Amino acid sequence: MHMLSKIPKWNLALVLVLVSEVIIFGLINPRFWNVSILLGSFNDFIGIAVIGFFVTFVMITGGIDISGGSIIGLTSVVVGILSQVVGINIWLSILLALVVAGLCGLLNGILIAYGRVQAMVITLGGMLLYSGIAVVIVGLSGVSASEGISGFSQSFSTIAYGSVMGIPNSVILFVVLLIIAYILLHLSKYGRYIFLTGINQEAAEYAGINTKLVILSTYVLSGLSAGFAGIMLTSYLGSARADFGGEYLMPILTVVVLGGTLITGGKGGVIGTALASIIVGFLQIGMQMGGLSTQYIGLATGLLLIISVAILSVSDEFKSNVKRIVRLKSYKG
Amino acid sequence: MEPMKEVILMSKLKAITKKREFRTFLFLVIIFVIVGMVNSEFLSINNLQNSLKSSLLYIVLAIGLTFVLLTGNIDISVGGTLGLSAAVSGLILKNGGSIIVAILVAVLIGALIGFINGIGVAKLNISSFIMTLGMLEITRVIQVIYTKGQWVENLPTTFKQISQVKIFGLNLLIIIVAIGVILVQMYLSKSEKGRYFSAIGDNTDGAILLGVPVQRYKIYSFVISGICAAIAGLIFASQIGFISTTAGMGIEMTVIASAVLGGVSLSGGVGTVVGASIGAVIMISINSALVYMKIPAFWNDAISGSLLITIVVADALMARRSNKNIKKERLRARVLKPEEVVTHAHAK
Repeated sequence: MHMLSKIPKWNLALVLVLVSEVIIFGLINPRFWNVSILLGSFNDFIGIAVIGFFVTFVMITGGIDISGGSIIGLTSVVVGILSQVVGINIWLSILLALVVAGLCGLLNGILIAYGRVQAMVITLGGMLLYSGIAVVIVGLSGVSASEGISGFSQSFSTIAYGSVMGIPNSVILFVVLLIIAYILLHLSKYGRYIFLTGINQEAAEYAGINTKLVILSTYVLSGLSAGFAGIMLTSYLGSARADFGGEYLMPILTVVVLGGTLITGGKGGVIGTALASIIVGFLQIGMQMGGLSTQYIGLATGLLLIISVAILSVSDEFKSNVKRIVRLKSYKG
Repeated sequence: MEPMKEVILMSKLKAITKKREFRTFLFLVIIFVIVGMVNSEFLSINNLQNSLKSSLLYIVLAIGLTFVLLTGNIDISVGGTLGLSAAVSGLILKNGGSIIVAILVAVLIGALIGFINGIGVAKLNISSFIMTLGMLEITRVIQVIYTKGQWVENLPTTFKQISQVKIFGLNLLIIIVAIGVILVQMYLSKSEKGRYFSAIGDNTDGAILLGVPVQRYKIYSFVISGICAAIAGLIFASQIGFISTTAGMGIEMTVIASAVLGGVSLSGGVGTVVGASIGAVIMISINSALVYMKIPAFWNDAISGSLLITIVVADALMARRSNKNIKKERLRARVLKPEEVVTHAHAK
């Protein structure tokens, strides 16, 4: 009982939602209860989840990063051009693409932390810039933009399609990055710094924390995670295109916010983000299996986003109101 | 008397040059001059009018968005509102409905979406970014369901001609929108109620203390933004002649970038409709500028993205510098006779 009370209530609610989701979709279509199908579906939302983990970091510091989707496209194009057009070894190309993704995050971070410009504006400009650079690279290389760069080696496609002891690589990557994110955010000193910066940047600064460096680092991590997502997506789809990840903005923010992270900063966690990304991911397959058109998925996630935030903000207010009433009564009594 | 007038005029001119909008405008002029030097056809009246014509719907969206941004919120849903209202009124027109009815329905849809956004933000305390992002997704789905996933084509020619009407050789819509921008600007800067919007964004608690109905004006701002998005949808339908299921996709980011380019602050309280409109013209002119400079169109996003970042960062640095100077002057003002203080300190 003591252990159970330590789990945040929001995460408990998310687990309940996830379990009931699995039960309901399974009743509609028993194929949904096939474990290998569920694990295989991780490939469809691994990008959203991975970026979501580290956008959680950014959001806890009080910032926001909407450039992740376009960094996916840029990484994908860089890997494709380097390995297929320039002819560099695929693994070296991947490494270089990750460096590019990290640099995108670094640029965001420097301008936001040291230039002290609003995160929303910078990452909006970054979103245009990074996808713009990807389009320029494709345009200059003379590759058809609509077909993309294909012809990747077999070893590259095993990144997404391979498995270890029956567990798909995407699930392993999900778990590994979740553990890394969890340790960084919830078990390390660095994580405490992130929370303190988000709760009160000035106070954290006076306490001797280099808050600018902390903020900068969260954007680098977020950019890097988008790089990982871009490589996974390129491997999964077997081609590199500049417009990959273009529609990721909404689901990324949905999983972070649905996971219980406050958009105003100071509160949140990666476990919630992980649970929320599985909920949203399973929702998509469940709706497809249930015979619903994919159009309705947007409606479902949109409603989920608004309702979860409404519940989170209203429940806070509700709690404080109840506390005030109880206190008043105890004074009178 | 004459020199007096001149002095006043000069000081007024000086004040104008110090404004953020003036710098944006100067930037626009510089773009036109540079591109004009490469290809003089860019400066032809015809092209200038075309640039204005294609930025019309962005200007209308920017007007609405400025209201929301002034109160310190943001509206991402404008693209969805634009698409949905354009699709619904397009279907009405296609099925033989009158233009007036179509316009009224579009405006009503825009107002309703804005109202829902406003209720969510003002009453339920949902972050405006999240609320309108969710709304964007919902309106898109509703549009697809309503049109059964099909494009709305073959709009009546009478409706399409509205965007082509000319008065004295000038496009009628350009004149209407220009007058609209000036009127809205007057309302926002001169009237008491108009100033409520920036007061809320500047200091919400202060606005409450002054008796500004904060929640109500926040809702108003979203309703205005929704109506503007619906009007932009009508302009879109009239100019393009058909409405695809992805109409207005990604438009919200361009509009936000325009407003920011024009000096509207995302943290609220600062900005003008005129500035946001000039920002919109800049964002759209980049398109045609590239064509006239014979640069491949795929440079578009990279250029507008780097432009946005550069201008915003430069702006922030400049603002900080002037703030520092003001602080210094204030500190100096507190010391009445600086020399005396220094000698006094030395004597000690």
